[in-house]
Amino acid sequence: MFNNKANEKALALELYDSFKDADLSYIYHGQFSQTITDLIIMLAETSMDRIGESAKIKKRVFSIMVESLQNITRHQDNTGEYQGFFAIEQKDGYYFVTTVNLIYNENIEHLDGLLKKIQSLPSEELKQYYKTVLIENEISSKGGAGLGLIEIARKSNNKVSYHFHRINDECSYFYFHTCISPINEEDEVNDTELVRIDNIFLLHQLLKKQNVQIIFNGLFNQENLINLLNIIENQMAGMGHLKRVVFNLMVEMLQNIVKHGIKNEARIGNPGIFFINRQNKSHILNTGNYVYNNQIDNLKIKIEHVNSLNHQELNDFYNKCLFNFQVDNSKESGLGLIELRMKCNNQLKYAFQTIDDEKSFFTLQVQVD
Amino acid sequence: MTPFIHNGTEDTPTVKLDTSAPELLIAERSLPEDAHEFYKPIFEWLEDYAKNPNEKTVFRFELEYFNTSSAKQLSKILLFLKSLDKEVEIIWCYQLDDIDMFNSGKRFEKLTGLNFSMVSIPVIDDDDFTIITD
Repeated sequence: MFNNKANEKALALELYDSFKDADLSYIYHGQFSQTITDLIIMLAETSMDRIGESAKIKKRVFSIMVESLQNITRHQDNTGEYQGFFAIEQKDGYYFVTTVNLIYNENIEHLDGLLKKIQSLPSEELKQYYKTVLIENEISSKGGAGLGLIEIARKSNNKVSYHFHRINDECSYFYFHTCISPINEEDEVNDTELVRIDNIFLLHQLLKKQNVQIIFNGLFNQENLINLLNIIENQMAGMGHLKRVVFNLMVEMLQNIVKHGIKNEARIGNPGIFFINRQNKSHILNTGNYVYNNQIDNLKIKIEHVNSLNHQELNDFYNKCLFNFQVDNSKESGLGLIELRMKCNNQLKYAFQTIDDEKSFFTLQVQVD
Repeated sequence: MTPFIHNGTEDTPTVKLDTSAPELLIAERSLPEDAHEFYKPIFEWLEDYAKNPNEKTVFRFELEYFNTSSAKQLSKILLFLKSLDKEVEIIWCYQLDDIDMFNSGKRFEKLTGLNFSMVSIPVIDDDDFTIITD
């Protein structure tokens, strides 16, 4: 058996740290279908509603997301070897949308030219250029004429950047990054820092290497839990038993954050991170959230206890807790950790990282073979 | 007796507690954030029902999924039915390929000693919403 414990722990923390300043980061890495696209949009919508985002910003984020996601689905590699990537982040009122999709090297020159042109145009001329392209209708073989990209540039006041990363003689990854600013156009300073693509490039490389399929970093609540479940259910459609197990584990792990995580200041959700990565044939589910330091000992004892039990003992312990109505309230049934351990058939891995005198960051990892 | 009807949502089950129907029913998905709270009115209804129960109570569990906090509430319902001291039949449904749901039924049967009928239902393939039959 391989042991990647140290490696994995580093990953959970590395990822969380890279998102620390963001209020919301949601990343999907995999095959894109219409349903998945719809669910991603829904997830962003509920998250924006929750934080009371203005209708104007919502509309702009929305249309940029739709165009970006269409770019991915239209240009994705159907063999599944090279996966599409979509990320939306929210930080200090700014939204960042990044997509990565495959492109044939022979098309790079044309696309590069188009994007250079877009970046050089002031907004009035961009509008005119959109009309020109629309009329000329230079439809490419995949049905796009760059209109989507022009539209994204218009909606973001031309805060776009891009990058090509060569994979082999035939194809490259096309990175496209946009920023939606909360500031009115006329008051805006041209802050090029906002559209830097380097960070997301490194993140994409890391996620590819670790085979991370989905990440949600932000405020957890029952609403986005349901959205995330729907996405995973869809992504794993046709995987039968495995899908059920992953669904099961996800519900318990995410509800742990919703019920026991420490709330943020505005009390609209509990900050944390959830991601799934694959290692060989295993799916690894990871959560991270804040807990109070005085809860740590109790939590450790509970996890160590379920880890120490064999199959029969777990089963007996589950039965005992199922009918123990002394632990039966809104917060707790006493069954969650036992269920996780039973369903995954592996030891639960965990870690605590001290943040300050009051709280620590708790990571939990469950592996399904 | 006034029926208790709750139409299922994405995270709460469909509940039909109606004495004029042949069966009491809990179906679909149960994963509310606060199961304790969600099941409260169900226990209230059952306590009322216990004052004058039918000679035979048939309770159908047709759940596709339930979380651990719902599991606890289900065990409470089953124990309550056991305490009625009348004839009780539990119809426990599971999708043909869902071994975990089958095992949950077996577990409840063993722990409560109630009369369980295990009923398999065809697998619902949610990829394209067609029903696969053998």
